[in-house]
Amino acid sequence: MSQLQSACIVDDDPIHLFGMKILMKRLDFSDEVLVFQNGQEAIDGLLDRLGAGKPLPLVIFLDLNMPIKDGWGFLDDFVKIPHHNRERVTIYVVSSSIHPLDQERAKKYEVVGNYIIKPVNEQELKQILVGKD
Amino acid sequence: MTIDQSLFQRTPVPIALLDAQLTFVDFSDRWLNHFGLSRNTLGKPFFESMPKLPEELKLDIDYCLEGVSFRTDSMRVILENGDSVWYEWKIDSVKDDDEEVSGVILVLEDVTEKKLDEAHLKKSQEVARIGGWEVDLLMNTIYWSNITREIHEVSNDYVPNLEEGILFYKEGHSRETITRLVKEGIEYGTPWDTELQIVTAKGKNLWVRAIGEPEMIDGKCVRITGTFQDIERRKKAEIEHKNISKRLALATKASGIGIWEYDVQNNEIFWDPNMYMLYGIEASNFEGVYEAWQACVLPEDSERTSNAVQDAIEGKREFNTTFRVRWPNDEVRWIKAEATVIRDEKGAALRMIGANTDITELKTAQLQLVTSEESLQGAFENSSVGMALVGMDGRFIQVNQSFCHSLGYTNSELLKLTFQDITHPDDLEIDLALLREVVEGKRSTYQIEKRYFDKKGQLVYVLLTVTSVKKIDGEISHFISQIVDISSRITAEKKLKGLLQLTTNQNNSLLNFAHIVSHNLRSHAANLTMISEFLLDETLAKEERKDTLTMLGRASHGLNETIAHLNEVVQVKLETEKKLKVVPLRKTVDKILMDVHALINENNIQVRVDVPNEMNIKGVAAYMESIILNLVTNAIKYRDHKKECTLTIYANAEGQYIELIVEDNGLGIDLERYGQKLFGMYKTFHGNKDARGIGLFITKNQIESMGGRIEVESEINIGTKFRVKLLKA
Repeated sequence: MSQLQSACIVDDDPIHLFGMKILMKRLDFSDEVLVFQNGQEAIDGLLDRLGAGKPLPLVIFLDLNMPIKDGWGFLDDFVKIPHHNRERVTIYVVSSSIHPLDQERAKKYEVVGNYIIKPVNEQELKQILVGKD
Repeated sequence: MTIDQSLFQRTPVPIALLDAQLTFVDFSDRWLNHFGLSRNTLGKPFFESMPKLPEELKLDIDYCLEGVSFRTDSMRVILENGDSVWYEWKIDSVKDDDEEVSGVILVLEDVTEKKLDEAHLKKSQEVARIGGWEVDLLMNTIYWSNITREIHEVSNDYVPNLEEGILFYKEGHSRETITRLVKEGIEYGTPWDTELQIVTAKGKNLWVRAIGEPEMIDGKCVRITGTFQDIERRKKAEIEHKNISKRLALATKASGIGIWEYDVQNNEIFWDPNMYMLYGIEASNFEGVYEAWQACVLPEDSERTSNAVQDAIEGKREFNTTFRVRWPNDEVRWIKAEATVIRDEKGAALRMIGANTDITELKTAQLQLVTSEESLQGAFENSSVGMALVGMDGRFIQVNQSFCHSLGYTNSELLKLTFQDITHPDDLEIDLALLREVVEGKRSTYQIEKRYFDKKGQLVYVLLTVTSVKKIDGEISHFISQIVDISSRITAEKKLKGLLQLTTNQNNSLLNFAHIVSHNLRSHAANLTMISEFLLDETLAKEERKDTLTMLGRASHGLNETIAHLNEVVQVKLETEKKLKVVPLRKTVDKILMDVHALINENNIQVRVDVPNEMNIKGVAAYMESIILNLVTNAIKYRDHKKECTLTIYANAEGQYIELIVEDNGLGIDLERYGQKLFGMYKTFHGNKDARGIGLFITKNQIESMGGRIEVESEINIGTKFRVKLLKA
């Protein structure tokens, strides 16, 4: 049994995805890792899951800079999902942007647990697991 | 008839003998002369032969024919022409032996002249109020005529004695004088003619002229006759005149008016004391000739003044002039001179009589006024503020140079216009509304910023101040408009706004740049950091290590690419304001379409180009190629596979710009969502595998660096239209 049943990564950068998967596997982060390339894909996928009666992943790693629908767009849509399950979800913004405006903006969303500046390291992931215990 | 015929005829009065039938029996020669008749009138009827006679004469003749022995009278007859003729007659009846009346003897005379003289005398005595008197010194009686009595205001039956007569004279000077004159008259026969005052019976003071003529017999005065005239009115007028003259003298002295007289014929000048004061000289220093006066006049004014005198003497114009005189102490005074010329019956000038006044103070004030008016006029004309006098109907009455300069019109052109003619229509209403408030007295002035059109039709921005000018009765006569040309300020403001926009744009670019650095460079750096950490991890599985190395290659490649893009952007920024050259638009479009024709054919795109050959833009040829390539490839890249794809490229001239439009019927972009980000770096919206999010960013930068703009219109599933505004060459 992994620490979490399900986690999700929304990012279009294959290198980052590659790295995240390695790190998460090392920590046995979750049984399942959902991956979406952009915000729109993620919203659609999650809604599909809810439709299929599956629970939402408890942790979502969200990139900001993506085509079609960026991280902000995803956040705006996600908070509107009408499901009680959503309230248990913590979203971690994972971005290469060190711009303070981006961090401030992200913290305005209640659902956002933290803002993680790339690259992500093991310690940070461990920290998340502690919080989710 | 027993009268000697010849004697009758020679009687020296107009006399005629008429029979009972009133025919002429005889007449004197004097009769014929008197009435202009001839001797053959004899035997003719009397009334038919004579001119019109008074009715009373006829009656008197009838009376005498009926037995009345004598009639006499004088009456007048009014002729048809309105003249009146006085006749005097005496009639005697002539009886025959039987005591029967056989005719009349008639003496008839035209006494009109005599009568008139009498009437005139009486009338004139009445009018002149001349009475007569006589003192008989032998009988010691005194006679007063009616008028004399009237003058003394005594009754008609009043008879005075000599003493009483004298007592009527007013006590004092008058009574003493008359007493002495009467005494001298009686003693030496000295006549008198004097003007004295009496006190009438009713106590009224009256001036009289008394004339007395003593009559001497053997050295003794027996009688004095004389006249007595009421001269109260004349005397009063005289006294009044004297008083007025005295007052005038006082007044002229006080007002400093000098009176002079110039005897033209004898070259003599008479001055009153004031004249000497006006000229600042002593009477003893003035020779009293024309040349002496001339010497006082300032040399500059001498000729003109002499001409004025000469013109007045010749009757060309009135003498009314001003000139300056120099006092002995060198002080210069202004003199105003007026005069009338007195001429003889032939019109030759005898004398000039005139007045001088010192108007130095007035003249000084006048000069100051003229100076201030001149300086005001000068200020108006030379003011750097545009000024205009504007009539109630908006017409320009007077404009200054600055006003003309600001609006590009000449003075005379502006005077034919109204301010309404040259005001921008959008500003006219507010201007007129404010003006109306001034006319209605709600305000006296207003200030607005408004626009005029100058002569070339260009907008002129001004700060306008309008003030009303009122007439004495309070009505507005005209307005004063002052304009400060603020076109340069507005231009500067616009330039400033432009600069601000530029700064904002550059700031945005910087932000963009920061964003690029933050997101893109850092993301590669982060990837590299993460991957190198994995590589350092000894526990990494072999397979994993291999994948990690592949990822390392991809990451470094990505970094490289990003740096290349950034370089490209920086290049555009650095080359901003690069020398712009003329770029033929059509040729450029054609060249690009040639370059990508394989792509077009491959995707079966219908391309239509409508760009005129002669259209040139100001730009950088390489940028233009890059821009067009980008837009064309974008259109192909985001084509709608379900449709027959079209691409239209056309261009319009728009003022100083040329607008190049690239229109496709492709997928379209949700502008509501992405509009703001469309031209940002690394923004892609379709998830297309070729999309790099760099093209439009660079395109926008290139366009802006050439002074142009890019806009987009798009609708999802309908198509996209890019509008590129470029500077026209």
